[in-house]
Amino acid sequence: MTLRLFVLDVPENTAVAEVAGRDLNVAVTRLGPYFVIESADTFSIDRRSTGCRHAVWYSCVAGLAGCQITQFDKDALRLEAR
Amino acid sequence: MKDLSKQHLVRGVDHAAFPTFDPAATVRFYRDVLGFPVVHSICAAGWGPENHPDFIHFFFDIGNDDRIAFFYYFGLPQPPSLGKGDVYARFDPNTPDFFVRSRHLAIHVDSERHLLEYRRRLDASEWPVEMQIQHETIESIYTHDPNGYMVEITRALRPVTPQEDLDANLTIDALVDIVDRPGASLDDLLTRKAELIVERAAAWQEQQERLVESPEGPVHA
Amino acid sequence: MKHVRVGLVVPSSNVTVETELPAILGRHPAATFSFHSSRMRMATVSPEQLAAMNAQRERCVLELGDADPDVILYACLVALMSVGPGEHQRVESLVAEQLAAGGARARVRSSAGALVEALRALPARRIALVTPYLRPLAEKVVRYLTAEGFEVADWRALEVADNRAVGCIPGDRVMAAAESLDLAGVDALVISACVQMPSLSLVEPAEQRFGLPVVSAATAGAYSILRAAGLPLAVDGAGAMLRGDAAVVGAV
Repeated sequence: MTLRLFVLDVPENTAVAEVAGRDLNVAVTRLGPYFVIESADTFSIDRRSTGCRHAVWYSCVAGLAGCQITQFDKDALRLEAR
Repeated sequence: MKDLSKQHLVRGVDHAAFPTFDPAATVRFYRDVLGFPVVHSICAAGWGPENHPDFIHFFFDIGNDDRIAFFYYFGLPQPPSLGKGDVYARFDPNTPDFFVRSRHLAIHVDSERHLLEYRRRLDASEWPVEMQIQHETIESIYTHDPNGYMVEITRALRPVTPQEDLDANLTIDALVDIVDRPGASLDDLLTRKAELIVERAAAWQEQQERLVESPEGPVHA
Repeated sequence: MKHVRVGLVVPSSNVTVETELPAILGRHPAATFSFHSSRMRMATVSPEQLAAMNAQRERCVLELGDADPDVILYACLVALMSVGPGEHQRVESLVAEQLAAGGARARVRSSAGALVEALRALPARRIALVTPYLRPLAEKVVRYLTAEGFEVADWRALEVADNRAVGCIPGDRVMAAAESLDLAGVDALVISACVQMPSLSLVEPAEQRFGLPVVSAATAGAYSILRAAGLPLAVDGAGAMLRGDAAVVGAV
């Protein structure tokens, strides 16, 4: 079961995809104008590493497939299998 | 004759109207502090069947020929200012602020320089800026007018991109699909939206690339 | 019998509108009329006085609205035409907006608009006019009607500046001015392009004399009011235009 997080490719969000991709267990690909951030298992993205302002951070999730958000705060966004 | 049925023909806000019990302060706020010119007024009486006082309906220009308008009714008693809200709508004091603030007018400016100029005008007045916030792609200042109506002045931090247009439409399509399910949540929306992304994003991208090669005119996602 | 309440916004020194309109409409076989006026202060027909008069319009409409009229006639012709082309439409819209904002149902007409409406309905394209005005004001009336698509073949200006005096111009002076016009190829004669210059008693004789349809600001105003009220044109003695539907009424 693959966990997939979709993030729209706009200037404020590119850091989210970039930081997510640093995890060796996470693959970042494209589907149209969306980043597809994929993993076989639980993964998380550290907010501070992205440098995102809160307003950008909290609205960066465009879609979820095969996963649910179990943490979404000023520290991290964490996805786990449904 | 050109078929009108598919065309977006409207031209913005003829007027957004609100009642006021203090027209002098309203004029000071919009005309004198913000510099929005008075562009129209109507003096009328209530001639219809309802028992209706004489009134003035007056309009300020808010840019792009759009207007904000007020009704002042002579002799109409102002309802008591209990709880939260403005002169039009009052809410129980336990009503969350986010809800009370959810209805507001936001007026556009083109640059940071212009935003700061309106900030300066408000800060020098009886109605200083209460908050300045950066959202995802916009920056705004907020205050309340003499009637308690929240006014936002906002600038875009960067131009809107075509993919945001697509994304907004996918969000709305997902929302409409899931909102009537009992207990529907943002999680349901994001799951449905992922399905729509998988369905439509690649085709949208191809269409965009074809447009770049041979522009035929605006196409909406 | 239908009753029509007519609101009149009149220049304060005007006595002719309130004399001629009731005289015309009082003859209608199928309706009764009452007239309710509000006055705008004006003595001299000068550009300054005309501008000041137009500013009182809002108060006049407010007053008349309270009487719940069926139709309001803004009974000045030169006050509108002297401002420039399109003015009667602009002012009628403002009055309509004021009435609509307050939920009033009155229809809105103006003497300037009524003259245009009546001439078009005849139909007339090439016209001649008699006016009481000073020449510069008369020229503005001619320009206004030209902008509305009429060809003004010939016209007279009797050059009476005081509005009270205009109300006393003798009929034979008006008729003499009409006689002096070159009416070749003219579709209709406007025997009084002014709501204050009396002319009602001249309309029928002028039609006999010149063999042409003859209208005045007053008969045009009556035409417009009848149309607004959905009533047939069945008035005698005020020109052929106002008898237009007489056969229909007779048949009922």
